[in-house]
Amino acid sequence: MQQVVNGLFLGSIYALFALGYTLVFGVLDILNLAHQAVFMLCAFTALALVGTLHLHTLVALPIAIVAAGLVGVLLERAAFRPLRGRSDSNISGLISSLAAATIFEALALAAWGPGQFRFPFGSVPDRRLQLGGAIVSEVQAVIIGISVAMMLALTWLLRRTRLGRHIRAVAESPLAARILGVNVDRVIAASFFISSALGGAAGVLFGLAFNDVSADMGRSVELKGLAVIILGGMGSMPGAVLAGYGLGIIEVFTVAKLGSSWRDGVSFAVLFLVLLLRPRGLLGQAATRLA
Amino acid sequence: MSTVRGALVVLLTLSGVNTLAADSTARIGAALSLTGDAAVYGATQRNGILLAVEDVQKGQLPPGVKLEVVVEDDGSSKQQAISVYQRFINQQKVSAIIGPTLSTTATGADPIAQMAKVPVVAVSNTAAKGITDIGNYIWRVSLMEKQVVPGAMKTAQQRLHFKTAGVLYGNDDVFTKAGYDVMKATLDQLGVKILGTQTFARTDRDFNAQITALKALNPDILVVSALAENASAIVTQARQLGWSGAIMGGNGFNSPAFIKNAGPAAEGVLVGTAWNSASPSPANQRFKQAMAARGFTADQFAAQAYTGVLVLAEAIKQAGGKTGREDIEAGLAKVKNLDTPLGTFSFTPSRDGEHEPAVQIVKNGKFEILQ
Amino acid sequence: MEALLEWWLTYQSAVAFIGVNALLALSVYATLSCGQLSLANAGFMAIGGYAGALLTLHTELPFALVLAAAAALPAVVAVPLGLPVLRLRGVFLAIATIGWGEVVRLALVNWDYTNGALGLVAIPQRAGPGVIYLCLALALFVFWRLRGSRAGQALEAIREDEPAARTLGIDTTAYKLAMFAFGAGLAGLAGGLEAHLTFMVAPSGYGFSRVVDMLVQAVVGGIAHFGGPVLGAAFLTLLPEALREVSRVTGMEPGPLRLLANGLVLLLVILFLPNGIVSLPQRVREWREERRAARALVG
Repeated sequence: MQQVVNGLFLGSIYALFALGYTLVFGVLDILNLAHQAVFMLCAFTALALVGTLHLHTLVALPIAIVAAGLVGVLLERAAFRPLRGRSDSNISGLISSLAAATIFEALALAAWGPGQFRFPFGSVPDRRLQLGGAIVSEVQAVIIGISVAMMLALTWLLRRTRLGRHIRAVAESPLAARILGVNVDRVIAASFFISSALGGAAGVLFGLAFNDVSADMGRSVELKGLAVIILGGMGSMPGAVLAGYGLGIIEVFTVAKLGSSWRDGVSFAVLFLVLLLRPRGLLGQAATRLA
Repeated sequence: MSTVRGALVVLLTLSGVNTLAADSTARIGAALSLTGDAAVYGATQRNGILLAVEDVQKGQLPPGVKLEVVVEDDGSSKQQAISVYQRFINQQKVSAIIGPTLSTTATGADPIAQMAKVPVVAVSNTAAKGITDIGNYIWRVSLMEKQVVPGAMKTAQQRLHFKTAGVLYGNDDVFTKAGYDVMKATLDQLGVKILGTQTFARTDRDFNAQITALKALNPDILVVSALAENASAIVTQARQLGWSGAIMGGNGFNSPAFIKNAGPAAEGVLVGTAWNSASPSPANQRFKQAMAARGFTADQFAAQAYTGVLVLAEAIKQAGGKTGREDIEAGLAKVKNLDTPLGTFSFTPSRDGEHEPAVQIVKNGKFEILQ
Repeated sequence: MEALLEWWLTYQSAVAFIGVNALLALSVYATLSCGQLSLANAGFMAIGGYAGALLTLHTELPFALVLAAAAALPAVVAVPLGLPVLRLRGVFLAIATIGWGEVVRLALVNWDYTNGALGLVAIPQRAGPGVIYLCLALALFVFWRLRGSRAGQALEAIREDEPAARTLGIDTTAYKLAMFAFGAGLAGLAGGLEAHLTFMVAPSGYGFSRVVDMLVQAVVGGIAHFGGPVLGAAFLTLLPEALREVSRVTGMEPGPLRLLANGLVLLLVILFLPNGIVSLPQRVREWREERRAARALVG
């Protein structure tokens, strides 16, 4: 039972991270490898707000998330928009995002150094709850709650608002959307804002959950994030959520039954199997093969 | 500086005193991981080294001898370390090298020094194979896990009488893997049954799954081989998951960063370590005070790096104040019972370090010797 | 003379590393030249490195054979891997190959026979700049013959527009697989050479950052011409040396500075010089042409 809680908790973070990843892919057909760098920068921002400016954690959270969103918009403008016309834009986009990720990591290292930082004692609640044989810490419960809330908010945004409709239209076909009068540039910028806000939120929650913020914290999540979006289906939001929780639970039970040496191997095995047998993943629709 | 000295010489000559004794400078190259995976350790090693260089000028070196250290970044990568070594040896013509932070980097770069007959003092390599057995110019100050863990674990067992253990270790890092190998062998030797073993990768932050799995087996003690950053997360998460039993860690736990990041969860954790931070030895007290005066954190890596410099200074002294490569090599062989922050230090016949290791327990947010 | 010898002794390893990195960048170029972004080569390099090390440590084989095995084994492994994986398009191929690299690294970390994370040590140094540049010259020779040949044109066609190439009757699967295997062989060769240059192999040397380095060197150097990756390897291997001066002046730590420089160079290249540094002369020429034409129009 405890392992189920562990899995749900890990899964929430994976799902939140993957949502941002897959949103950008759905809209622009580009794998944004800078996503994990935004994840990391947002965690540092929150740390700076709480640690240096002594803001309350719940106040720092939205500020940091909005900041992450703005970084995303900047990223799109500088690294992706100039590439839009090109024929190999998804490869050059990937490389461009890699460059941006490197730059972000360099800036974080220059500003904070290579160490590992924690949120000041007392800024993060410490209580534990018993839940039918399992122990859930208050932090974990709050994180699961915030993640689910953000996912629901995203769903509402995409289904019920005009922006959401426009985003879905651009994801279908940018050309058609433009003909229908949608301001494609603004929609793409908005998508990046949302995507980076989600990724940044995952970063802050991750930093709070494990009380560890460091310049390389994005790396391990980045590769897992890939497995999640492939499993869920590139471009599919519900797929990302489903796969995020799925992978979280699979990982946790792999550790419990087979031992931790197998854990990462299983994630990549899942990645491979999905790509070879059903590349569009559980719920995806993107064209993934050439033939 | 040289103009002042020059003026002094002129003055003294004019006043009839003979010129000052010729002074020789020993140039040491330090290849540290200032960036890359091991950057955290390289940074604290640099502090220890720079501090030691200042300190030895105040009395440990024979008169007229100066010590100069050039610190370069090996980027936690063997390619860069090799380039740095080539520069040290051929361009800057160092007399000795303080070896790379990581064991894996060292196995790639030290052979170059061996071939060029330049002594290397390793201050943080703990791998059992592939360091001092490269050749006779490679010396080691840092204790291997097999010199630290067995004694520490035996003492712990005598105090706590544990019969079963759950083991958790980082399997993708040489430091922690070497620690695990020795921990496992020691536990077997003590007749402690290992109920379960779990691993993690250095970049992991979430250990809930592994800890839950081990906790379910109900061992008497949790034995962990991890580096400081993972160690604090492991201990915190273990307490959060309700593990109230004993926890014992290896060298990686021996850092103030561990206590700082783990907070109250660190209470009662046992640490088998190469550096007894509470030791009253004069060298250790001097080291800690000097570190504190500069605002540096005094941890095991800094203590070992500081000791490396002390050892080199002693080697120069044993060589009669001569600072050439062969002189230092010969001098290192004569280092015996040197008072260092690590304790009374000597080299073993295989050029590994030897001094009393310690078992510590965290009490009231500080490391204390386990009585 | 003395100074020259000293210079050579100091920089010979850097020269050797440029050679190894050039081979790795070429291995990425091999698949990029037909439009496939394969990030599998760190995994193949690991296989080559370990195979070479094991052969040298446990057998009496001459070095040439050891190198041949180090190149052949990954190439052989690449075939059954490539068949399913090369059917994926663009980004999905990239992801699958990243996954492959991680699987190889994790397998090595968990393999006790090769000492897990410590890897294999005390490998005698059988490789030096001479052998490395000989191998590089051979590789460049192959690429040179390929360029302009019918096979080379087929690869170019696949890169431009794969479905069109297929309708023209080009066996795209065979060509892509061949380049995939060739790239794997080059990476394995580089791995074998590096193992015998640096005395040891360990899983940590074949992770995602190695993949990124290879890709960056190939892209920055330029994929318009096979000389590009070599240029990129030289440039990016020497960049940290040049940056040392900059670090001293600006006071920024050398590590972050190096990362920042890598990132900026890559970003600038991909945005403004997408075919890499090697395409610079051509771009300058084109720009001059435009200027001349514009001036002719006005004047």
